[in-house]
This record gives sequence, C-alpha cells and structure tokens, in this order.
Amino acid sequence: MTFTGLIGYLCMFPLRAIIAACVALRIHPNILTFLGVLINVAAAWALGQAHFITAGVIMIVANIFDFIDGKVARELNAETKFGGFWDSVIDRFSDIALFLGLIYLYSTRGRTDYVMITAITMMFAIMTSYTRARAESLIAKCKVGFMERPERIVLFMIGAFTNRMGAVMWVIGVLSVFTVADRIIYTYRELRDAPPEPAA
Amino acid sequence: MKPLTLPLRILWNAFFWTYERTTWQYDIMVIAILAFVWLTPPELLNDPMVTDQGPIAWALSFLD
Repeated sequence: MTFTGLIGYLCMFPLRAIIAACVALRIHPNILTFLGVLINVAAAWALGQAHFITAGVIMIVANIFDFIDGKVARELNAETKFGGFWDSVIDRFSDIALFLGLIYLYSTRGRTDYVMITAITMMFAIMTSYTRARAESLIAKCKVGFMERPERIVLFMIGAFTNRMGAVMWVIGVLSVFTVADRIIYTYRELRDAPPEPAA
Repeated sequence: MKPLTLPLRILWNAFFWTYERTTWQYDIMVIAILAFVWLTPPELLNDPMVTDQGPIAWALSFLD
C-alpha cells in the first residue's frame, strides 16, 4: 500500500461511523452539502482574522460534510442528477469562500503581492473545475492534472495548521495552472483524434 | 517524433499528470510538495504571516 493510500485508509475509519450516523438519522445529502458550505464560510472568516488553527479545525469539519454527502446519498438510495449538480456548484462557493478569506487577510496587511497571488490561484482553481466540466460535455472523461479539489483542501489545511499559507498558495497556484493546461491539451488531442461525426 | 530522454520524460509526466491517487508517483509528488511547503525558508517567499521558522525548526528544537 502507498503512503497516501494508508492515510486515506486510516481516515476512512471515523468517516464510516459518521456516514452510518447520517444514514441512521436519514439526513438528506443535499442538506449535508449545504451545511458544508456554511461551515466553510466560517473557516474563511477565521482565515480572514488570521486564526489559522481555528480555520484548519473548521475546514476539517466542513470537508467531512463535503466528503460524506455522496456516500450518504448512495447509502440512502437518494442519488439524483440534481444532487450531483448541487454538490459541484456548492463546492465552487466553498472554494471561493476560502480564497476570499485569505484575500481579505492579505489586503488588511497591505500585501498587494499576496492578494494578487491568491486571486490568480483562485482563478485557476475555478478554471480547473470549469475546464473539466466543459471538456466532459465534448468528450467522455477529462480527469487529468494533479491539483483537484481534494488536493487543494488538504493543502489549505496543511497551510493553516503549520502557518505556511504563502507556500501553499504558490503550490496550488502553479499546479492549478498545469492542471488547466493538461485539460486543454488532453481535450484538444481527444477531439483531434476522434473519428469524424457522420453527416446528418 | 523523437522519443524523449528519461529526464525529459519524467518532467513531462510530472507536468502532464495522468496518474491516479494512491500510486507511487502520487506519493512522490505529495512528498515533493510537502518538502517545498515546509522546507522553503519563509523569507524566500516573503510570506506575510510567518513569524516562526516552521515545523522543521520546531522539531529540531526538541533535539537540542
């Protein structure tokens, strides 16, 4: 088993208990998704106030909701197309909220350089999701590139808990640029190599 | 097209990322990222929030 596989395996123990509790209480997955964004807004506020440890703890709680909603939906047999759409939309709000918290923090410190770095990172984080969504309206699958949402969230937590948000913004930013480029290249190649559609 | 040499292939594969999570390539990328985040001197990045030398210095202080 790989090092990251082991971490994922260990994290699944408490998560299974939380999923079972949500299923037993029959909490609707869309409500879990919505609770996730509300808690992420609280994390963004904590980031904005430079309370990094508090923000990290709140992010863990928020992302438990984000992580389990799909699994609870499956267990409750409540998977719907709207649920998938709702989850994707709400995830973007959660992403943006965290970045805005940091942008607010850096602006109150008069650090225009990091305001710009965070804003550009936010733009490419959003474009990472958009390129995949748009590509998958043209091709079957576009799952290339390293910096997806789980990686971003874990990096935010690492940055918050170890007070290394600056380095984390650089990593997310640079790897998000690569991810967007990967998806554009991959979609271009897939469309170029696709057999021509028969004339109507 | 000429095949890429090994170092160029490694660079290209790191840029054009197609590996799944929980592969050894993913582990190496994670370790490289953590090394950058924790080992890069904060002054180099001009991080506005850092007031300490970070987890490495903190861990080393226990050894003193």
